[in-house]
Amino acid sequence: MKTNLFLLLSVLLGLVGIAQEQKMTVAEITSFKTKVERETQGIKTLKTDFVQYKHMDFLSKDIETSGKMAFKSPNHLNWQYTKPYQYSIVFKNNKIYINDQGNKSTVDAKSKMFEKINKLIVGSVSGNMFDDKEFVISYFKTKEFYIAKLEPKTTTVKKYIKQVELFFPLGEATVSQVKLIESSGDFTRIVFKNKTINDKVDDSVFTN
Amino acid sequence: MIKWMIRFLLISLIAVGCYSCKSYQLKQAVPKIVTRPEFQNPYFSNPETDYVYKAHIEVYGHKAGGVFVAKRLNDSVHRVVFTTDFGNKILDFEISETDFKVHYVLEELDRKMLLHTLRDDFRLLLKVHHTITDAFENESFEILKASQGNGYLYFHLDKKNQQLVKLIAASKRKEKVVFEFESKNSTFAETISINHKNIQLQIELKQIIN
Repeated sequence: MKTNLFLLLSVLLGLVGIAQEQKMTVAEITSFKTKVERETQGIKTLKTDFVQYKHMDFLSKDIETSGKMAFKSPNHLNWQYTKPYQYSIVFKNNKIYINDQGNKSTVDAKSKMFEKINKLIVGSVSGNMFDDKEFVISYFKTKEFYIAKLEPKTTTVKKYIKQVELFFPLGEATVSQVKLIESSGDFTRIVFKNKTINDKVDDSVFTN
Repeated sequence: MIKWMIRFLLISLIAVGCYSCKSYQLKQAVPKIVTRPEFQNPYFSNPETDYVYKAHIEVYGHKAGGVFVAKRLNDSVHRVVFTTDFGNKILDFEISETDFKVHYVLEELDRKMLLHTLRDDFRLLLKVHHTITDAFENESFEILKASQGNGYLYFHLDKKNQQLVKLIAASKRKEKVVFEFESKNSTFAETISINHKNIQLQIELKQIIN
């Protein structure tokens, strides 16, 4: 009996969950996109903390890592894990500097692939990635969020990722959560906290 | 003169030949009676545990880092995943004594030789039950020998606490791979290093504690 109740409850909750996510109307999409694009154009610097949850179906719990990220327009980016280990990757002047627990390396980032990664990370955080050439985009809303779901069009990106979901809290033009879904259904969820926009960010942040 | 040279060459050839056909022997170890017919490698044996490690791999001078995850799915099968630090998968497979099923591999890494090397390494590392055929001991270790494919495994147990600290995989003639373990509680290895002796490949695993 208990199991039946539990089953019923899960089904009901599931239905509610589905019902909560509604497609946005064309008018809503236009005004939402305009707002995000206008506000992200004004972003000169961005700093945020993040927690990353790697979900794999066969594991009993998600792998949790956390750290901070700093961005300075037009192309300086530092993505840094501080827990449970130190790892940072800096994108600067077409180069990628990696510091893996003291092991340092540099990669030339002139290739199209790295350009795309850079754009994807910056775009994910700022929210400005409504690139119809790269993605098929659909828009949803819930009581808390506007959600943009991006499916890559190019086969190179498709190999790595099935879908990117960006969560914008209602009334905000930047993203508070990103979900990167692999073709297997396993995903990486990144939650941003303590975000500051256009505060002073020193250039020394981008040395690795 | 020519005769002398031929003789010299022959002697060296025989010497080299004899050296290389010398079978693999443990250093300063003496045989002892097999007291346990089976050995269980404890380090990846608990199906309740998510085994999560930070991985550093060095192959012919090239370094790469990421996250290594293993889980025992049932009596004979383990699931193994390597991801980048960002979380995206680069390799995902299921492995048992007889099977090897790749769920996903990044195109750039889809090389038979690499996959077979990793398959063989992780088959040795993850297999839980081993039948012991011989036993040895030296000053520090009790050493248990098991057959594996065409070669042998030598489990080195610390005499003080019976912890598995080293596993040597050898062919009939020489060491091929050496696994070293550091463990505080004897059921979980906090660090694991995998060193290949015939190719330049090293893998270091360090436990990630959330």
